[in-house]
Amino acid sequence: MNPTGLAARLARAKEAAVFVLPLLAFLLVLYGMLAWTFYTSFADWEGTAPNYTFAGLKWYRFMVGLDRFWVDLGNNLRWLILGVAPTVVLALFIAYLLEIGAIKGIEAYLRTLVLYPAAMSFVVTGTIWSWMYQPDRGVLNTLLRAVGLDALTSGYTTDPGTATYWLILIFVWQYLGLAVLILQASFRSVELQEMVESAMLDGASRLRILFAVLIPNIRGGILVVVSLLLIAALKVFDIVYVVTFGGPGYATDVLALFQFIATYQQHLVALGSGLAMVIFALAFIIIIPYTVYALQRWFE
Amino acid sequence: MSNGATKAPVSQIVVGVVIAALVAGVAGYWAGTQRGGGMAKAEERKLEIFHWWTAGGEREAADAMFKALKAKYPDIQLVENPVAGGGGVSHRVVLQARLSANLPPDTWQTLGGAELKSYVDGGYLVPLDSLYTEIKYSDAIPKPLANAVTIGGHPYVVPLNMHIQNILYYNKKLFDELGLKPPTTFDELLAAAKAIKAARPKMSPLGLGTKEKWEAAFVLDSLLLELGGPEYYVKLYKGEVDVATDPIFKAALDRLNTLRPFTYQFHAGLTWDESCGLVVSGDSAMVIMGTWAIGYFKSRGWNPGVDFGAVTFPQKPDRILLFHPDTYGLAKGAPHPKATLDWLKVVASPDLQVPTDVTQGGLFARIDIDPGQFPDPIRQELQNYVRSNPGKLILDQHGSIAPFSFTQAYWDVAAAFTAKPDVAGTVKGVNGLFTTYKVQEGAAWYQWP
Repeated sequence: MNPTGLAARLARAKEAAVFVLPLLAFLLVLYGMLAWTFYTSFADWEGTAPNYTFAGLKWYRFMVGLDRFWVDLGNNLRWLILGVAPTVVLALFIAYLLEIGAIKGIEAYLRTLVLYPAAMSFVVTGTIWSWMYQPDRGVLNTLLRAVGLDALTSGYTTDPGTATYWLILIFVWQYLGLAVLILQASFRSVELQEMVESAMLDGASRLRILFAVLIPNIRGGILVVVSLLLIAALKVFDIVYVVTFGGPGYATDVLALFQFIATYQQHLVALGSGLAMVIFALAFIIIIPYTVYALQRWFE
Repeated sequence: MSNGATKAPVSQIVVGVVIAALVAGVAGYWAGTQRGGGMAKAEERKLEIFHWWTAGGEREAADAMFKALKAKYPDIQLVENPVAGGGGVSHRVVLQARLSANLPPDTWQTLGGAELKSYVDGGYLVPLDSLYTEIKYSDAIPKPLANAVTIGGHPYVVPLNMHIQNILYYNKKLFDELGLKPPTTFDELLAAAKAIKAARPKMSPLGLGTKEKWEAAFVLDSLLLELGGPEYYVKLYKGEVDVATDPIFKAALDRLNTLRPFTYQFHAGLTWDESCGLVVSGDSAMVIMGTWAIGYFKSRGWNPGVDFGAVTFPQKPDRILLFHPDTYGLAKGAPHPKATLDWLKVVASPDLQVPTDVTQGGLFARIDIDPGQFPDPIRQELQNYVRSNPGKLILDQHGSIAPFSFTQAYWDVAAAFTAKPDVAGTVKGVNGLFTTYKVQEGAAWYQWP
């Protein structure tokens, strides 16, 4: 054997280890825990002491028998649809406005302003918004009353019928900046810029350029934004925890919050694990289109 | 430094870290196996304690506790592991992890009742029969309090206080001005609410905050207690009442609905302290809240007996105090059992209970302490009442007769009812909870009277 070759190979192995070991640790922690949670959801762990006796679908049956579970699932779907669709549409328009320099001079400031909420934690923005929503003294109702629009005042998050929508509005506000940033970046590819230029030479209107040239050609960017937003909306916990704690009653409850309460308040650990698996399954469904697209691009 | 010079050290560091981690793991495992075997050696004078008293007012009460410990046993080194976050939510997350991993702290804060039972069921606590005999604690505390910490015939924790749930606080100056008597029955409450509404149309006479959900169950409890009496109350939470056909439960919901027009409308957004704040700010005139509200009112500059008054609500058919205790026990496999037993003796002593309870807001667990130790007339009167009527105590929502899994879900339904008054749906929902969470089985341990 060539000694220098061996030394080189060893050095390369060491180098590889530097990168592979952290990855392995990461995968082990993530998927190890996932497997553990998966098993626990089929165990009979009820109470403070671990109980890994296999119980089959017992706790899944229990779960689907709970009214709260279905309320949560409905709310999670509301979050997925209403938290994502309006954000993407709004972000497209704002990104385009910024890109074509419609608002000359203040563009850079505007971009910072739009992005700023994304830099804050949900705990902070949730608290701020819950102050604004406060029905007696909050800024929203106070302003409405000041301009004589008393009919438009509402209970916001204290009204069980509409509370979830007001929570979703916070999410849209907070993630808009991030969506704008990603979409604006995807407008910037060289080929796309050339296509826009030639379309302009042909005399296409700006709106037509957006719909006929830009949007069809930034599918990748849109898919990234949609996937990111879907996952963020799916795992929503903090906004609900801070602003309504799932209330009134459990009208704004979501799966992630119920998972927390079931596991640590009710000590129904198997139920909590089952709820976590439902969230995981939903995330999986959301991720599939993105993965398929990414793989297609890979093999192209 | 050139790139080439840094490359090798990086990989060496990684290898070093991996080796160090392995060594540490093996050493840790070895230390873990030695833990039980090291009994021959004298036990370290150390005490690891978990508690959730971190908020303003409560932190001072925790300091008072530990001062009492230091005074009695200056050699015990205290390792505190307070987990911030009121009500013990985050505390339970961390504690649960430690317990499941078989690494218990020596002692931790738990409420007497269902929460305690969950730890006993898990096999995490050591029975304290000999300690109770040694310090004659059963004679020093009310019987219902002893029952709340006794499971399967053994006391498992030492209570240091009692919080009372069913208290109605009122704006004393306003009541005097309007010539109103503090209400002690539902009819009186409704009459007072109507009178206040007539005199102050902008007010919501009854303050309420249901963000944490249990507040709604408090109000419902008071209504149930008046309609059904103490035996009914206990039977209900022991799962021995058929709620679906029960006229009392339905009547209590109807009464809650009757109070709706006089209750603060946006209660879903408020926590318990914010609901007491409604009384201070003049938005409301009354609120039903536990003894811990006294501390809140005082922190807002309101003096008991001057700015606000308090009465037990209801007082018919009987004046029952719904209560729960804060307690400490001895962990099974505690690293420092001797120091922990010393600590528990301090917990049981007036030396700890007087400064701690006066600061934190509950009543003394011991009934041989002079009620005059309390600075406020409200607790003096309550402690006196407990002293002469120790049998009139029943576990409250936080102490919980029913298993905690049920109680959590029950609070949600009660809070939902205050937001959307659907009597039939709520009766059906609550009835389902009793079977879903197997309340009869889970609450069988509770004995009252």
